[in-house]
Amino acid sequence: MTIMAELDVSKPLPAITTEAKPFWDAAAQQKLIIQRCKDCNAWVWTPRPSCNECGSEKVEWTPMSGKGEVYSFTVIRQVVGRAASKAFEPDIPYVIAWVDLDEGPRLITNIIGCPVENVKLGMKVSVQFEKASEKVWLPKFKPA
Amino acid sequence: MSITNKAAIVGIGDTPTDRLGSKPGEPRKSSAEYLAWAMRLALEDAGLSLKDFQGQGLGVTIPTAYPQPFWPEEVSEILGITPGFLLGGATGGAGAVSLLGGMSAAINSGLIDLALVIGAAAPFSEHWGGGIQPGDMRDWEIPYGTMGPNSKIAMVMRRHMHQYGTTLDHLGKIAVAGRYHASLNPLGYLRKPITVDDYKNSRLVADPVRLLDCVMPANGGKAYILASPERAKTLRKKPIYLKGFGERSNPSYGPRAGSDALIMGVKDAGKVAMEMAGVKHKDINFLELYDDYIIVVYLQIEDLGFCEKGDLKFFENTDFTFKGQLPIQTGGGIINCGQPSTAGGVHHILEGVRQLRGEGGDRQVPNAKIGLISGLGVLPYGKNLGCCAVAILGNEV
Repeated sequence: MTIMAELDVSKPLPAITTEAKPFWDAAAQQKLIIQRCKDCNAWVWTPRPSCNECGSEKVEWTPMSGKGEVYSFTVIRQVVGRAASKAFEPDIPYVIAWVDLDEGPRLITNIIGCPVENVKLGMKVSVQFEKASEKVWLPKFKPA
Repeated sequence: MSITNKAAIVGIGDTPTDRLGSKPGEPRKSSAEYLAWAMRLALEDAGLSLKDFQGQGLGVTIPTAYPQPFWPEEVSEILGITPGFLLGGATGGAGAVSLLGGMSAAINSGLIDLALVIGAAAPFSEHWGGGIQPGDMRDWEIPYGTMGPNSKIAMVMRRHMHQYGTTLDHLGKIAVAGRYHASLNPLGYLRKPITVDDYKNSRLVADPVRLLDCVMPANGGKAYILASPERAKTLRKKPIYLKGFGERSNPSYGPRAGSDALIMGVKDAGKVAMEMAGVKHKDINFLELYDDYIIVVYLQIEDLGFCEKGDLKFFENTDFTFKGQLPIQTGGGIINCGQPSTAGGVHHILEGVRQLRGEGGDRQVPNAKIGLISGLGVLPYGKNLGCCAVAILGNEV
């Protein structure tokens, strides 16, 4: 009789798509880069083949300061839904946040490095990369 | 551009909702059964038969968890229809309202003169599974441990409370009005009236979102039938005309990479719909607003222009019950009547039709002539809802 393998409870990883590969390559070196349109100067996020403000294909990866502030957040105290959610159970409670970078773009991320009770709207934060796999380092944010 | 009075709703079908089928031995129905049931009710209501729909329009809302790309065709087979014009409602919970616009345009063009729009889902008795599809959610949200739409709407709600001083008392008033109406609706599911304190004391689901903020998933089926005005006159029920329609998908207020997440696309969709209908705010007798969350109902009232953004006094001073100045959610909404996936969006249309026919029973809005219906779908990365559709319905030409 075959013993069924345990359910895979590793955390889901992003697919490294053609558009996103430069982002993950930079992240693995602790650098936060985001695309910017050379024609209209708009920030393009998440990664796209062209500018979604003006349609130009001249989008260029640009180094960011890594600084920003919390636009809003929630505290996850219970995992729900898909099986992979279970992988986050040991992290509870943790913070999901919208962080607005000083340059403009908004990221969904985690706030780390402080108790969840300390997280506030408008709080200044700075990027800190966390290793999720050999190829994927996730940009997370800690109090600045 | 106008499709005012070019199509009318002539039949509605609304099955009771339930949450049966998740436990062993519980009676269960498939989504096919809810589809057939909803269609039968709509046909009976309109006085039409299945053969009337051959070669005509069929619109099908596409359930979110269903990975089958040809679902609308499969629904045609389940129902026994060979449509001459088949549309899938691909705007999530907005699909029912989007299809109202799309099918009315097809009727106006002369392509068809009759259409059935239908949706059903049975999330408790059928488990469709479905992996994580390519897109922002897979690559940029789930790796951080987001837990579905609750996580994102929680951030919208917290930001609104922070920016405008909105309290649980303001939001609770919306929840109480919806539940009160469900208590008067025989098709309501959660029918025990609640107080603002019940709302405030309900379990925290995704801080600051509480249990009584959230829509209730359910099994069920819902349908409506549209006809040209000429055809409508030959049928048994008072025609309810589409007066105006507007839609905005992927709306953005500010730069797309970081827009104002508190403004909804109903701001523009509603403006387009009201201008097409030639109505002002004071002409609208009631609102049936898509309600996946209480905060979403609240934001729509603001963004549709019934008050200024952040006008807390308006919410404090307005009676939102069917007897009040601005009746909303007169059937209880899907928070209280249940959300069979994207078919939930049909609920608001059906309740609007009942009110305009004078079939609102104990919750009838006095003298209702014009109603506003909204549909919403999708919570995209970093933004408010991604698909927004607004329809104005009226009972006079």
